[in-house]
Amino acid sequence: MGILVKDPGPLTTVQDEGRFGYQQYGVTPSGPMDARAFHIANILVGNPQGEGALEITFKGPELQFDQDNVIAVTGGDMQPSINGERIPMYAAVAVHAGDVLKFGFAAGGGCRGYIAFAGGLDIPLVMESKSTLAAKKLGGYEGRALKQGDRIGFPAPKATLPGMEKRHCPLPVYPEDEVSLRVVLGPQEEAFSEEEQRKFFWYSSKVTNEFDRQGCRLEREVPVKHLKDGNIISDGIAFGSIQVPTTGQPFIMMADRQTVGGYTKIGTIITVDLPKIAQAKPGMRVRFIHVSMELAHLLYIRELEELKQLDQSLNS
Amino acid sequence: MDVKILMSGDRAISVQMGDEISLEVNRKVLMLHEELKKRPVEGIQEMVPTYASLMIHYHPEVIRLDTLIDEVRQRIDSMGDIAGTKKIIREVPILYGGETGPDLELCAQLENTTVEEIIRKHSSHDYYVYMLGFAPGHPYSARFEEPFSFKRRDTARVKIPARSVVVQLNLSDLIPFEQPCGWNIIGSTPLTICDYKKEDPFLVHAGEWIRYIPVTEKEYAEIRRADEAGTYQVRVHVEE
Repeated sequence: MGILVKDPGPLTTVQDEGRFGYQQYGVTPSGPMDARAFHIANILVGNPQGEGALEITFKGPELQFDQDNVIAVTGGDMQPSINGERIPMYAAVAVHAGDVLKFGFAAGGGCRGYIAFAGGLDIPLVMESKSTLAAKKLGGYEGRALKQGDRIGFPAPKATLPGMEKRHCPLPVYPEDEVSLRVVLGPQEEAFSEEEQRKFFWYSSKVTNEFDRQGCRLEREVPVKHLKDGNIISDGIAFGSIQVPTTGQPFIMMADRQTVGGYTKIGTIITVDLPKIAQAKPGMRVRFIHVSMELAHLLYIRELEELKQLDQSLNS
Repeated sequence: MDVKILMSGDRAISVQMGDEISLEVNRKVLMLHEELKKRPVEGIQEMVPTYASLMIHYHPEVIRLDTLIDEVRQRIDSMGDIAGTKKIIREVPILYGGETGPDLELCAQLENTTVEEIIRKHSSHDYYVYMLGFAPGHPYSARFEEPFSFKRRDTARVKIPARSVVVQLNLSDLIPFEQPCGWNIIGSTPLTICDYKKEDPFLVHAGEWIRYIPVTEKEYAEIRRADEAGTYQVRVHVEE
């Protein structure tokens, strides 16, 4: 078998890289909110970077293992422990049949974590993906977040992995008070005057409680003003798009976003900064920084290269 | 309007083929989509056709942005005429009124006509599917003749059931999953609009037409049973 869910925590879902190729039919890609933490978790346990893992939110689950395997926990710090003893994050850890993995509440910055299991999870593919889109009962474990009593098998567990002592990497620092997000303009920056665009970057916003896998509503003391209004002919939406409806209060589109929408999007958070907003907590301040597309691409390609190097150093 | 290429972050562009919701502009979007499917460009991850633009998600580590834009512009320049498009019509059975079409009579009142006339208008013209979005398999569709004059309801319902058929003006949507909705519910189809178990989960696709076929309660129940058993064959017409 694999794991038995003794307590699911507030929101624990199966996510793999995402469900791609189906947005044309209105199916959102889903996948991890913090892709970087998710990829590292998989690399640490010797999986392909996009293998199915558990995404945990605010407080992790309580899981009992009925088979030996190697796991890694990444993302926001929820104090993981095995049989009551703290285990390191961002490190491969061998677990044994009978062990219980427990978490506390997310302390400090960061509120989403990942548990990767060597050999992945036995979850059927729906439209080529293991990712859960709970709002549409799609994929993952029976199309929903995990519940008490659920069991997920390990298709190829490993009692140990080569070079266990090397399988760790530095913890990221997630900001606690204010997060800076780099943004490229577009697709509808022309719906705003140049002065309004400057103001968008000048004034900060606050993360509201309205923040889930679909998106994050921000609150600004100084709303963003349109030249006309916030409506457009509905078009496609990317992960990290910053929608500005007529109210002038921005909404950041996240992993479970709708595939199309009819509001202006002033800019898009660059890919390497998506983990920062994914890990932000309500009440935090958000500041946007305008960067060029060239820089966004450079940083993205560098990040892919870093992950590849980590993978090669541990798994080849 | 000239084609505009908008930046949707560092991994997607939106190719805007026009600035209106029209059959002509939407067909250009779908033609570009077909063209890029037929002769794929390495580095394109997936494409999302919408009313007037084609969203292209790409891998910047595989294809440079300027190369992608050049390629897309070349494809647009070499695209043929849209005249030869086939009309694919899917017959969608619908039970008008009753418990599953609670607003049919209200629609007649709003239109100052009879229930029969509402049914005739809705079922005698085909609806064009501009795109799928909002939820898996949810068509945004419109007809081009005899629009209704009423719009949305004053207050939206918090939840309407899956398989509802809703209307306003010249628009009519099929609701694949329970959802909030501000439109009037005219009827219900016995067909599952999005079924993840099927090889092709989606009842209708972008660029196709929906023809509503009125059915009786008895026929509705029979079709529903066949649909759930997986034995119902949706009737499809192709007109040149």
